[in-house]
Amino acid sequence: MNRTMKRLLTGKDSRQGRWFFALLIALAIIVWLGLTTERFLTSENLFNLVAQAMPLIITAIGMMLVVLVGGLDLSVGSVISFTTAILALGAPALISIPGVFALAACIGLINGLAVTRLNVHPIIATLSMQFIVLGITRILRPVSGGDVPQIVIDAVAGSFYGIPLPVFWGIVTVLIAWKIIHGSRFGLHLFAIGGGIASGTDEATHNFGVADKQKILLAYVGCSCFAALAGIFLAGRIVSGDPNVGLLFEMDAITAVAIGGTQLSGGVGSLHGTVIGALVMALLANGMNSANISAFVQTAIKGVILLLVVGLQSRKKMGL
Amino acid sequence: MAALFNRTNFNRISRIPPAYFVFAVLLIVLWIARPHMLNINIMGIFIRQVVPLGILVLGQMLVIRVNSIDLSGAGVLLLINFYISSSMFPGASLPFFVAISLATGLAVGLFNGYMVGKRRVSAVIVTLAVNIVLVGIVQFLASGKPPGDVPSIFSDIYNTKLWLIPTPVLFWVALALIMSLFLSRFVYGRYVSSVGANPVAALFSGVPVERTVIVAHTIAGLMTALASLVQTASIAVGSVRVGHELPILAVAATILGGVVFGRGEGGVWGPFFGVLSFALLFVVMTTFGIGEPGKLITQGLIILLAAIFYGLRTAKSRT
Repeated sequence: MNRTMKRLLTGKDSRQGRWFFALLIALAIIVWLGLTTERFLTSENLFNLVAQAMPLIITAIGMMLVVLVGGLDLSVGSVISFTTAILALGAPALISIPGVFALAACIGLINGLAVTRLNVHPIIATLSMQFIVLGITRILRPVSGGDVPQIVIDAVAGSFYGIPLPVFWGIVTVLIAWKIIHGSRFGLHLFAIGGGIASGTDEATHNFGVADKQKILLAYVGCSCFAALAGIFLAGRIVSGDPNVGLLFEMDAITAVAIGGTQLSGGVGSLHGTVIGALVMALLANGMNSANISAFVQTAIKGVILLLVVGLQSRKKMGL
Repeated sequence: MAALFNRTNFNRISRIPPAYFVFAVLLIVLWIARPHMLNINIMGIFIRQVVPLGILVLGQMLVIRVNSIDLSGAGVLLLINFYISSSMFPGASLPFFVAISLATGLAVGLFNGYMVGKRRVSAVIVTLAVNIVLVGIVQFLASGKPPGDVPSIFSDIYNTKLWLIPTPVLFWVALALIMSLFLSRFVYGRYVSSVGANPVAALFSGVPVERTVIVAHTIAGLMTALASLVQTASIAVGSVRVGHELPILAVAATILGGVVFGRGEGGVWGPFFGVLSFALLFVVMTTFGIGEPGKLITQGLIILLAAIFYGLRTAKSRT
């Protein structure tokens, strides 16, 4: 028991990383909020919390795919804005929704090709993609506005037997992501490739017959597609296209992934950790709003938590 | 394609940072399209605008060469801007502001360096978190509103000229010269190259790897402080929103200047011309009436192409 607790707390030698720490933080916040604010534990507020957290959860899951193979995707924020802009063009949902995913997959494909085949550093490749996609988005939609297909709005705002639909978005996304990350050969390979990269033996999985470049490329495509899904959800929530809605979302997503115990050098991480990490961020925002803490202090506290969580774990590799 | 890469000429050309080509092309475009723009007064004004970015790049170049990154610039900039423009230190003199700014930059740089070098935390995360904390603190102190005015002595100095060239530009060139000499004449420059190329090999050869990384981050922090002083002087008012894109742009300019993550190579002048290219790019875009989105797209394309150019070369040299 003692050893298990120690392992959970330190995350040492664990492939899932230090997710337990994030869980403790989340529980602490829930207890604190439940005791201090009466409004917090109402079902209305909790459902609201889920709806607020959902875009971040979805984006962070996508980001995690890339982080697992030792990369980073800084273009997700732009992809989210881009998605809302495309949806708000007024095309019928039957065309625009598959179209959005196809376009996002293309963006991910370019990111992945640049990283795997053209040997560009992930930060640089996705950073330039962020500029390009943001530029295109601002051409499509300089200011927020436009009409989002009704079905998207209904899919976000509606409820089913009294349970708001965002809850189902969460369940479906997590199930899909679980299948990808923990229930498929692809997911296993992601861990293997990332573990190799983290310990400095980039070629290890390749030598064992894994098509590593192809898998890394698919991780970038998946990341962009998850970002597009988050974009669709956000478009339904704000009922318009907005070129700035995804601004700095990549930073929040990286924060959530890191809080959830995923290591940025790759190979270590877990789906539940990432979801908890995103929930911690949402809980902090929600709780501090109801405790009337200024939004600016909230930003600072987020940063301090990130520093604490990441600063306490040391790793072998130095640098990015 | 393949035949092109086999030629020694390509190898020779590919050693030159892409920034020089971009700069030359933009200069030619400007010369053909708007020859009257190319006089020292107009160019001086445009180049003066990118001086904060240029100084930031001098630090960013150093940390990128040791395979790290510094994204905390925006927070430091806001904090220093807040010192100067709010009534936090009433009646303080210019040397005091410079001293406290440098102390802030030093402290942030040391902290970043300690976390990245000693604790081995991911540099992206540490500097990002520091940035978030600083931005949050400043916005809280200012309660989201612009704090106030900057003492006029800052803009007075900023607007002076020496032999037709704006003083900030000269300051930037001088800093770049110092940095260039420092890296080429002192043993620290060799340390940077070896740590960047291969930290394990550097450690086994007796290079103080951790100290090199910490010093790189500390210098980057000081550069950020200097850049913040210039930026504050240039906008002449307090602000809680200024410069949040500067660190990312600094990374971009550094890449354009031929400095690559995890490869020790690259100098001061490549990134220097990377910044100048950005300045020219804005001039060219503005004269052709291309708006903000077009600038973003062009910027992204240039960085991507420059990086691909480098990536192909490394792929070639590995085999």
